[in-house]
Amino acid sequence: MIETVNLSAGYGGRPVVAGVNISVRGGEFVAVIGPNAAGKTTLLKTLARLMKPLGGVVYVDGAAAARMSAREIARLVGAVLTEQLRPTQLTVFEAVSLGRYPYTNSLHTLTDRDRREVWRALADAGIEHLADRRLSELSDGQRQKVMIARALAQEPKVLILDEPVTYLDPKARVEILLTIKRVAREREIAVIASLHEVELALRMADRLLIVSGGRVVLYDSPEEFVALGGPMHLYGLDGQLTFSPELMSVEFRPGAEDKPRLFVVAGGGSGALVYRMLARLGYQFSTGVLHKGDIDYCVAALLGGVIIAEQAFQPISPENVHRALEEARDCAAAIYTSPPIGPLNSENQILAETIALQGIPLIVLGPAEVKGAAIRVESLAELSKSIEMVLENVRAVEPAPARR
Amino acid sequence: MSRKVLTELGVAAEFKPKRRGRVLLLLCLPLAPLFIASIVLGGYAIHPWDALMALAGGGGAEESLIVQSIRLPRTLAAMLGGASLGVAGAILQALFRNPLADPYILGVSAGSSLFLAISIFTGATLGLWTPTSPYSLYTAAFIGALTVVIVMVALSGVVRTTTTILIAGIMFSYLAYAITSILQIFADIERLRAFTYWIMGSFSGARWSILSPGLPLLLVFLFATIFLCKPLNALLLGEDYARSMGMNLNRARMFIVAAAALPVSIVTTIAGSVGFIGLSAPYLARQLTRTSNHFTIIPASALLGSTLAAAADLLSRLAFKPIEIPITAVTALFGAPLVIYLLLKGRGVQV
Repeated sequence: MIETVNLSAGYGGRPVVAGVNISVRGGEFVAVIGPNAAGKTTLLKTLARLMKPLGGVVYVDGAAAARMSAREIARLVGAVLTEQLRPTQLTVFEAVSLGRYPYTNSLHTLTDRDRREVWRALADAGIEHLADRRLSELSDGQRQKVMIARALAQEPKVLILDEPVTYLDPKARVEILLTIKRVAREREIAVIASLHEVELALRMADRLLIVSGGRVVLYDSPEEFVALGGPMHLYGLDGQLTFSPELMSVEFRPGAEDKPRLFVVAGGGSGALVYRMLARLGYQFSTGVLHKGDIDYCVAALLGGVIIAEQAFQPISPENVHRALEEARDCAAAIYTSPPIGPLNSENQILAETIALQGIPLIVLGPAEVKGAAIRVESLAELSKSIEMVLENVRAVEPAPARR
Repeated sequence: MSRKVLTELGVAAEFKPKRRGRVLLLLCLPLAPLFIASIVLGGYAIHPWDALMALAGGGGAEESLIVQSIRLPRTLAAMLGGASLGVAGAILQALFRNPLADPYILGVSAGSSLFLAISIFTGATLGLWTPTSPYSLYTAAFIGALTVVIVMVALSGVVRTTTTILIAGIMFSYLAYAITSILQIFADIERLRAFTYWIMGSFSGARWSILSPGLPLLLVFLFATIFLCKPLNALLLGEDYARSMGMNLNRARMFIVAAAALPVSIVTTIAGSVGFIGLSAPYLARQLTRTSNHFTIIPASALLGSTLAAAADLLSRLAFKPIEIPITAVTALFGAPLVIYLLLKGRGVQV
């Protein structure tokens, strides 16, 4: 539906993004992502013909956009922009019917067909019930839906959206993106949308268009993107942010504070929230013995914990138990998260008891019975308090062991 | 919600034209009594019956003279001029997306006056007409108005704050008046007398000789603005959105700028600077019709502008009879407080 050949976008003769070669079919959802000021808006405006390209060609529906009049383009390309709306007393119906602009006569008389299209657009955006309301009475999310319905009323074959869900609450975000996706498939519209959040893009888009450093870094499926190493090459992640290919999520890794290291015995998902809490509170942590691919393994890796890991579906080997014990010795305290215990990880219970035996204070979270445990807590909130308490005691006896 | 209810809602949403017709009809009501009052009342009161006879071409010689060559042109000038100023205000407010935009405040009237002064005092008329010919006056005023609107549009691209543009407009007015005053000092008596007519700002001097080219043009303008409503509505969403829906921005802007300058220059040539009608009429129109749709706002602004101007003109000649006061002295009485109110209300004001 829309295709570019060596497109270069920018203003004042200076290209911001160059060498863009994309081709988007009807029904396809392409997410444009990239760092701030990478030229996403410039590129989108050029695709929507709101800016003239500095070079290259844009083909819409098989014809060169440069040869079309503003009216012809408006019948093929709809746009939702970041432009701030001034307060007006326009009703939703009036605003959406403005989308018929390229079809109506100079008095903007709505024909039956125009009316039908306006109602179809309102229905597709799920805002029929708002038709009589004024724009100024709506929430941000509703207003965004109005602008989308207005673009749909243009009966476009291509829909360009610049940050359509930024500044919206999470529910409205997902709702609007799903609406766009559904309508795009039903009406076979090619959608190109810039998104602020990489994770959202990974989950929603059929293809990613990654713009960075003045060029297209990648134009491929989210799966290919992940296979190539994820967003590392996008933002030049510097250890503060990490990406988990299994979870398709980007994680913020809080900077390590000068706090002691803790050892966590976990598995089967019992440790994930504990890791997050420790990371948030600024603790470093080591954990084991985890099976590779376990959700605890993924989250711990994401947060930068030291992991003693066993191959998936293998019983924990004595070597790994030994390594875990070595690691735990360097820690100020240990936490046992009451993981489900079975034939493949029964060593973890023994590991916990051995840790306690070695004189490392052991906090048990949950119902498990562990010999030699210092404290048992029932909830994560209690856990954070008891960690502080235990560490106070340790510090009173001896300084926390220095880490390597 | 059931399909049926939705369709009914839809019908309700599309019912607007009918309600719109009713409101516009209502706004026409004060025009007839104002017209009669404006013909009948003044320094010399005329019996309505005599006035009617005079309008029909009969009646006493004195009444006939007053009605036909003084009252009637004056009334028509005030009514059509007011309507045009109201529409010009609505157009400027949409162009600047600013409810405080008004030809008087933005300095468009002052620009017209300045060029009128230049034309009269220096006799620069492009060599086409005599300096006091209506045509050279209209041309000069139009060039002045157009210049100011274009400068203001360019300026609004640089400074985006509502109030800065207004201050720029007011300062431009001062500048224009300063130059006009300097021109007056060096002018000879004959030309000075010709010019004092515009300083006052009053429809009292409206005679057929000067009205004949201007009034038909105003009438054409008023009807032609219906074609501006579509782009003006699109511009409510902002320039980029308007363009994305197929509006040719440069062409639309050209027409809008010309449409704002033309009526102001004509009214200024007929009556001098007339303030605040372009501000109040669209404001009242939006308050009364509760819409921003220009297909309603433009005609409503015309009707309200006409009403306001005719009423203000009537007051200006009756308040201290037989002495007339400038019309802007009357319009400022309600216009200036409105500006202050809108400034205080700030960003929430709707266009």
